[in-house]
Amino acid sequence: MKTITVSSGKGGVGKSSITAIIALYLARKQNKQIVYADCDVDAPNAHILLNLKEKDFYEKEEIFASEKATLIAEKCIHCRKCISADICNFNAISWNKEKNIPEFNKYLCEGCGSCSLICPAKAIVLKKVKNAILRIAKTSYGFPLITAQLEIGESGSGKIVTEVRKKAEKLAEKNKADLILIDGAPGIGCPVIASIQGTDYVIAVTEPTPAALHDLSRLITLAKYFQAKTGIIINKYDLNLKMTEKIETYAKEQNAPLLAKIPYDERFIKALVWQDEILLQTLSETYVPDILKAIKSIQSFSI
Amino acid sequence: MPKTIAVTGGKGGTGKSTISTLLAIGLSKEYRVLLVDADADCPNLHIILKAKRKLLSEVKQTIPKWDFSKCIKCGKCSQVCKENAIVFVKGKYPIFVKEQCIGCNACRIVCPTKAIGKAEQKIGSIYFSEINSSNLSNLHLISSEMLITYEETSPIVNALKKEVSKLEDKYDFVIIDTAAGTHCNVISALLGVDFALAVTEPTPLGAHDLSLILSLTKKLNIPAFVLLNKANMAKSKAEEIKSIATQFNTEIVSEIPYDKKIFEAYSSANLEKIPESLYKPLIDFIKKK
Repeated sequence: MKTITVSSGKGGVGKSSITAIIALYLARKQNKQIVYADCDVDAPNAHILLNLKEKDFYEKEEIFASEKATLIAEKCIHCRKCISADICNFNAISWNKEKNIPEFNKYLCEGCGSCSLICPAKAIVLKKVKNAILRIAKTSYGFPLITAQLEIGESGSGKIVTEVRKKAEKLAEKNKADLILIDGAPGIGCPVIASIQGTDYVIAVTEPTPAALHDLSRLITLAKYFQAKTGIIINKYDLNLKMTEKIETYAKEQNAPLLAKIPYDERFIKALVWQDEILLQTLSETYVPDILKAIKSIQSFSI
Repeated sequence: MPKTIAVTGGKGGTGKSTISTLLAIGLSKEYRVLLVDADADCPNLHIILKAKRKLLSEVKQTIPKWDFSKCIKCGKCSQVCKENAIVFVKGKYPIFVKEQCIGCNACRIVCPTKAIGKAEQKIGSIYFSEINSSNLSNLHLISSEMLITYEETSPIVNALKKEVSKLEDKYDFVIIDTAAGTHCNVISALLGVDFALAVTEPTPLGAHDLSLILSLTKKLNIPAFVLLNKANMAKSKAEEIKSIATQFNTEIVSEIPYDKKIFEAYSSANLEKIPESLYKPLIDFIKKK
């Protein structure tokens, strides 16, 4: 069983659409058993692209992947040790003068436990926080989709991604799946690192703009650090041929081979806006064979 | 005090950076504007504006440093570390994985022999730029950039905002461009702004992520307005965006059409060339606000 992560650095370059057409092709045309994991837990979208309805989700689980400091007020001896220097490095604790007790800003608290460790009265405890809801759906394409949604105002996206991947691995084992396909988050921070770590192959999607190339270069550096085999797809390449050339030169320099150039194809927008499965299928047959062939021939990585 | 506006959106690629830059360019014709790139993962505004960045400050984080002559190999530091940044094997000295460390004090507090002191690691940089264009002398850019392989973006954004607070009195408007998503780095960027502009596009994905970002601004008590970008992409979906805005007691304050001129200007890093008529209603709205 292998894991492939589709990532991009910059958002909105076509990550989710490309992940979806790869999944469709592998499932429908190659009869592969796959597990689809949407690891953009901040703003998950794969379920929309795959046109899933509420009834398609058969499993739901609350994720408690982070902790926050809370006060047991009656135990507080008002010693103020928790607000002394070198305890909370995140400015999450302030002193409520009226009540003579500490107050915790839940948006700033990282759940590190420093205040709880220093409190001599054991008045500060770490409470597990529900920070996501994970759901599994059956899709009409035969493969399952695992998706998670970060609770509004919560953090810990990286830890949630790790939970999604654990679930995907379990399901893949059960289904004797050939592949886990991960749709990653934009950026290069904790959710992206959690999506890339330990994956077998990274597909880095970009577009011919200076911003996207800059973000691609940050992603490639990250993928190299984690020693993940990486290939590049330039989406909407024909919108700026000069920039496309620049990206190709960059890919060569970095030894991260160019897998495919996909033209600006309005059918992607139509498939997305109208959630058109047939059109998505057509797109997958148009573009995916070349991508798979390239991965195999250039990097001898077969799915 | 300047007016501080966050440009955000949940979904990536809806045009946050383009809109915040256009907003800054438009306002700078009459006002002094500080544009803030709070997408520390993948900062782009200096590229869009072809600005030469000058280092303003380095963002550093406290990390533990062991004095092994005092270490009794008890492993307590490893037990309390929530980030798995300290690996302990019985009978050996603890091993520190610096990329995982978020810079808290738990290990130092718990060490019974005070064997853990402090060191620093660089986790990012803050840059300041003047824009190299005679028409944009009223516009300055401050941007953040996280060190690649570091995981926590919000400390960089917090450091950026500290620098902004030192400078903001010199400006009439502060425009903050946030990262995509809804987690800690976006929350840090949003906290304390006067209002937020949620940029979206008329697609099911845009609609879905708009609800997410408006739920977040509501939770943070930040007034938010919607900007519908690429409005002509799917006219019928625009209705859906409108109804989401109504649901959250807000409105679409401006619509910007998908225009090849905008993409061409963006992809050649030349936003100045975009005719102001394409985004003038937005500028007028912000001026009135």
